[in-house]
Amino acid sequence: MKRTLTVCPYCGTGCTFYLVSEGGRLVGVEPSTTHPVSRGGLCVKGWNAFAFVHHPDRLTTPLLRRDGVLLPASWDEALDLVVQRLRAVQKKHGADAVMFASSAKATNEENYLLMKLARAVFGTNNIDHCARLCHSSTVTGLAETFGSGAMTNSISCFDQADVILVIGSNTTEQHPLIGSRILNAVRNGTRLIVADNRRIRLSRQAELHLRHRNGSDVALLNGIMHVIIAEGLEDREFIASRTENYAALAESVADWTPERSAAATGLEAGVIVAAARLFAGAERGMVAYSMGITQHSHGVDNIRCIAALAMLTGNVGRPGTGVNPLRGQNNVQGGCDMGALPDLYSGYQKVSDPRLREKFARVWGVAALPETPGLPLTRAMDAASAGLLQGMFIMGENPMLSDPDQGHARTVLENLELLVVQDIFLTETAALADIVLPAACYAEKEGTFTNTERRVQRVRTAVEPPGEARADWEIICDLAERAGYRGMRYTGPAEVMDEIAGLTPIYGGIRYDRLNPHGLQWPCPDRSHPGTPILHIESFTRGLGRFSPALHRLPAEIPDDQYPMVLTTGRTYFHWHTGTMTRRTHLLDREEPRSFIELHPDDAARLGISHRDRLLVSSRRGEVRTEARVTTMVIPGVVFMPFHFAEGAANALTNNVLDPESSIPEFKVCAVRVEKLP
Amino acid sequence: MRVLTSDRLDRFFASLAQSWELRLPVLLPDGTRVIGSPDDGQLALHGGAVPGKPTAAFFPQQGTVFTADDGVLQELPPPSRPLFVLGFTPRDLACLRFIDRFFADGWRDDVYFRLRQNAVVAGLSGYCGPGGALIPPAGGNCDLEFFWDRNCWLVIPNSEAGEAIAAELPDAATPEAMELFRQASAQLPDENELLIRRASELLRSDRVPDSFWEEIGDRCIACTGCNLACPTCTCFGVQDWRTAKQVERSRMWDSCQLDGFMREASGHNPLGSEALRTRRRIHHKLAADPEKWGEISCFICGRCDAVCPTGIGIIAVARELVARFG
Repeated sequence: MKRTLTVCPYCGTGCTFYLVSEGGRLVGVEPSTTHPVSRGGLCVKGWNAFAFVHHPDRLTTPLLRRDGVLLPASWDEALDLVVQRLRAVQKKHGADAVMFASSAKATNEENYLLMKLARAVFGTNNIDHCARLCHSSTVTGLAETFGSGAMTNSISCFDQADVILVIGSNTTEQHPLIGSRILNAVRNGTRLIVADNRRIRLSRQAELHLRHRNGSDVALLNGIMHVIIAEGLEDREFIASRTENYAALAESVADWTPERSAAATGLEAGVIVAAARLFAGAERGMVAYSMGITQHSHGVDNIRCIAALAMLTGNVGRPGTGVNPLRGQNNVQGGCDMGALPDLYSGYQKVSDPRLREKFARVWGVAALPETPGLPLTRAMDAASAGLLQGMFIMGENPMLSDPDQGHARTVLENLELLVVQDIFLTETAALADIVLPAACYAEKEGTFTNTERRVQRVRTAVEPPGEARADWEIICDLAERAGYRGMRYTGPAEVMDEIAGLTPIYGGIRYDRLNPHGLQWPCPDRSHPGTPILHIESFTRGLGRFSPALHRLPAEIPDDQYPMVLTTGRTYFHWHTGTMTRRTHLLDREEPRSFIELHPDDAARLGISHRDRLLVSSRRGEVRTEARVTTMVIPGVVFMPFHFAEGAANALTNNVLDPESSIPEFKVCAVRVEKLP
Repeated sequence: MRVLTSDRLDRFFASLAQSWELRLPVLLPDGTRVIGSPDDGQLALHGGAVPGKPTAAFFPQQGTVFTADDGVLQELPPPSRPLFVLGFTPRDLACLRFIDRFFADGWRDDVYFRLRQNAVVAGLSGYCGPGGALIPPAGGNCDLEFFWDRNCWLVIPNSEAGEAIAAELPDAATPEAMELFRQASAQLPDENELLIRRASELLRSDRVPDSFWEEIGDRCIACTGCNLACPTCTCFGVQDWRTAKQVERSRMWDSCQLDGFMREASGHNPLGSEALRTRRRIHHKLAADPEKWGEISCFICGRCDAVCPTGIGIIAVARELVARFG
């Protein structure tokens, strides 16, 4: 029997546990009782995080498509072919005709290495990962207003807030060990405002539950800020000493009276006033948000308003305050930190800066690095559709289920000259690939994940990978070597982290020997630095915080006679994204075994639909069959679908319209029609 | 009664490891205490009950039931060596006694007894609780008991296997001291014991309204930790993994806090809300088990309270329940 301390592979909360193994097989988990976040607890996914690892569906050998069929091949053959065919695409169509998709499920070291492979070996900045689909608007919006696109505070700060505003986050289901802190805080006297039109668990404990219209967050937040300024509740000292451009904000929200905000959001004006007074009246007010804010065609504007609300009320840089984007994946923070982004190297260093390009080129031992920022993942699909992109290397992502407009995604992926997928299971995307590379999962390799509060933590090998599967970092290094590059020879991930630390100021003090037992929070600029639990204490990362006013814009697609209902999408508590792992976990799949759609009893009655009826849901993009869940979770006129299920895929319906600045798709609003199937 | 000094512990357990597969309280690298392999960390006999389910030694979170190769059933081989498990507090031993009876009653669970059958179970008691607090002696329910008298471990065998293991140790100089410790233990207040008994009475006399369970259910995030940490929770789910040539059936800890636990094939669920499920879980321990087995099946180990992220472990719920209704 062996116990291995590691980090949960699901959400960004970053709970740690021991994987318990017996004879080389995992037999359970045991929570860490000393971890500052999980404190001896776990959520249901964490308790079951061992259960998919030995599933018989695991990929155990490389696969090559021969005569249309994926057949086993040797590593030598597969890796040589990957390099040869990527080079062939580049030779024919140019260096930027290939795209590398990295993974928020992979380690920091692996994200860094894939970024390095793309840039130093294949000479393209076309590298991105699924942060594009979840918090790219946060990175853009908070970089502009605060200078740093990460959670400002620590998870422990939830215990210290006087008022918490949770907007667009179903925290008890999506970040359960943060959601539980909020529940506990409320029991201990913290006052809670929930702004989310689903009747989520937190709303049952909220003093105010604002069920505003989907996509009306800017109108709501502008209305709240209008009341704060009109009633003189703003923190003038903070505004004067710590911020700039306040006049523009004040002018922008001047005509957002509660009545106008109410008309745009569907709320009562009095509730908006009450929320403004409650939040502004707090000594320590905290905002937490997630996909309900970010996944809009105006996602960056939503972030600007949240940042402005926090600055307006002086709620930045202190315990129990801050702007707290809850990062969804175990290592989506790290994927961004490591520069698996088309315009940034690790540590948010711009590829457009010649000095930085030179710094990275020198350490990587290459003559030059590409100058032009690459394609965001979401725009890459459109570029491929236009024939500009012909090859994709996808590590640990499943765009066939996770991207908007599945029909579009399928056409793009099927028509590529080359699709390489590196994953742990034969996902819907891998099934379309020309070459499939079998990877080790989180329990079978070394590395680090960075959680939502910027805590860099060790991931450790508990068991060996199945068959011939290898860790992503080993595969990437092998590819580099076969491509003729000699700068990716490492004794292991610890040495990769040493290189990262040397190139990345915010990770400058991160070394494996410093990460025991529970990691360090960046910025950690040098080896003696203790890490940073709270950002922007004395000044913002950018110096002064910047108010960036935002105009209210409607979602790109609003209901009409043909498609009369709003569809909003998301996740359930029991499944993870495209279900690759959780649908192979017995207890989790038993809880939510099939696709469903939530609709309000009034709508159900009007449409003659009963609970569990089979339904046809259509949008301008496609149609899916699913099962009715009649519930007051949703408001009339709005339906909700999780996107986990290949059979009944919500993303066959969603709208591939992007925020112009962050390129995040508008997963949260599109128009659909719901009909009962005979 | 024998005696074992701290400086002889390592040698004693090394000697035992010749014949037994050892499971001992150890301190893991981050300070978490578990009953684990001696290789996992430093021996940590002090500190009271370990946070994890101690009965996991015989009923692991997931374990194989059988495999079938080409349709031929392969039963699990017996363990290469029997288990020696140290770390059960007297309350944990009561839990083990309860589930031993449960797994043996009527249809005998051969997967459980495969590990349990020849195992030696050792209790921990004395002044080795958190901060040196006194844990009352178990006085039974185990093969042998290790009692910390603040100077050394008094080793008290209760079975032939226990006698054989303790035989190599020197006799205790003052065996009559145990009586003093028993008397000291008898003086210990046990508010939680009274609380659980009172909560049981209130439940059995139907004095707790549904609205109470609605409130508690609203605070349940369905993490299932209460069940997974509870030494008397024995429910499991079953899965089959199939490959071309083999079927492997395994079972894993299940949780009555999950909707799927009682959901019928029709989709109807008689326990279709967190409120009903939480009520059932606690009702089962405090009201149903006393009728079936003649005793409350919560032995107040406190694990569900420690593991619950939202503070609705059984002791916390009992406290609220008694404060409001009785």
